[in-house]
Amino acid sequence: MLAIYKRFWQVNWAEQWQYRANLIMYLAFWLVSPVVYLAVWTSIANAQGSVNGLTANDFAAYYLTLLPVSIITSSITIHILAYKIQEGTISNELMQPVHPVLTNTLVNNVAFKALQLIVFVPVWLVLLALFRPTLTITPQSVLWALPALAMGFLINFLMDSTITLIAFWTTRVWAIEQFNNAVGQLLNGAFVPLAIMPAWVQGLAQFLPYQLGLSFPLLLLLNKLPVEQIALNYTLQAVWGIVLFAVFNFVWRRAVKQYSAVGA
Amino acid sequence: MHTLRILKAFFQNNVQQELAYRADTLVNILISLFWLGWELIGLSIIFSNTQTIGGWNIGEVIALLGVFRLINTFMQMVVWPNTEKFNRGIREGSLDYTFLQPANSQFLVSFSRIVIWNAWNIALGVVLIVIGLFAIGSTPSPVNVVTFLVLIFSGGVIIYSLWIILISLTFWFTKFDNSVTIMQALMDTGRFPATVYPVWLRVIVTFVVPVAVATTVPLQALRGDLPWWQVGLALVVGLAVFVLAALVWKAGVKRYSGASA
Repeated sequence: MLAIYKRFWQVNWAEQWQYRANLIMYLAFWLVSPVVYLAVWTSIANAQGSVNGLTANDFAAYYLTLLPVSIITSSITIHILAYKIQEGTISNELMQPVHPVLTNTLVNNVAFKALQLIVFVPVWLVLLALFRPTLTITPQSVLWALPALAMGFLINFLMDSTITLIAFWTTRVWAIEQFNNAVGQLLNGAFVPLAIMPAWVQGLAQFLPYQLGLSFPLLLLLNKLPVEQIALNYTLQAVWGIVLFAVFNFVWRRAVKQYSAVGA
Repeated sequence: MHTLRILKAFFQNNVQQELAYRADTLVNILISLFWLGWELIGLSIIFSNTQTIGGWNIGEVIALLGVFRLINTFMQMVVWPNTEKFNRGIREGSLDYTFLQPANSQFLVSFSRIVIWNAWNIALGVVLIVIGLFAIGSTPSPVNVVTFLVLIFSGGVIIYSLWIILISLTFWFTKFDNSVTIMQALMDTGRFPATVYPVWLRVIVTFVVPVAVATTVPLQALRGDLPWWQVGLALVVGLAVFVLAALVWKAGVKRYSGASA
């Protein structure tokens, strides 16, 4: 099994490497919003001293840590799988004796991230030099956050993949993805730190999977969570991980059963 | 007159294409409404924590969002689809046929594709501007309103000219077709007044990709923040960049040799 993943890694890394020039483009698209929110909130915090107890430095540290965390935990499945389903080229992969989504697509996600992280590091250093936040990341917090980052990615990957599978039934899968994405951005801490949201939104966000894939590992890295919060969120990650995997599996079986390739 | 007739033909042609996919149009309109709701929720979260951002109140920021929507719609409606068509034309050589037609090639390349359903977004932008004006509380003077409208137009011209320059550069550097994507990415900075940005970012969005000139600056005129010489400067720059774009385009076309030739 390990050998299979290794082979998929070689293929996918080579494929991503081929498109490395496009990475700058993706990076630009993905970078602008967090930097804009960072500028907006630091300007507000500077004007009135703090927002809900968060200072300008807290916001800078938050959004600048958010950038690498979101590269690590985000999923690009819909971009690499939806068109294969719609054009029918997924048929080739279905012939192989391994699960196409859990091997090829998963490894392609990781290869994309690895390359994106490499390209991002110099950009990150520039941003850190421009905003000069005091980061509260410690070696221990990194160790604590590693499993949360991995689980966060799996949760996002399973959610994104399940939505992508809807492409087996309808071509409107992009509209559904956009909707999920928009709700996710409000509830995962990408727009603002959840601490600034109204209490009822925070309560809702806590138990939905979105924040487990971004806000939780991010705050863990920044040493902002008390022990019982860490325990709660790790438990939630485990529960949602199992639930989303079960849903993904269920949808996958139904999808393959009713699939008849375009042009077949 | 000739140009107007061609524009009318493009328009009719694109309406017909759109009518072939009516359900898609409806879904697109619903998605755009949904994102508008998202943006307003975002603003309400921001303004529940503060009275002003960068010295602007909520009415002014809503009006800014309206102007941003106008400029961004221009990107989605004209710039983006025509860039795709242009890049394909360069790659596959179909651009040859554009140059053979007896009309200004820059005009043909700019406006042959118009994504009609976006007209809806223009209407939404106007509605946001009007709501914003009411929410500001004080009535702006007629002179400021006129300056505001003129500056939106000249801002649009500047964005358009930058785009023409970027796609013209493809004639020299074939690998340059990503530049419009980066321009589109930076458009997002137009949602907020440039006065909240740190200096380095303000320099980028004012001089490198002048999103702020098309969004923040008109609103500043509406607020009466803009001295006369800056209004004049914005208009002169608009005209100058437009002329420059036409020159760069002509020089680029001379270099074109066609992928099929």
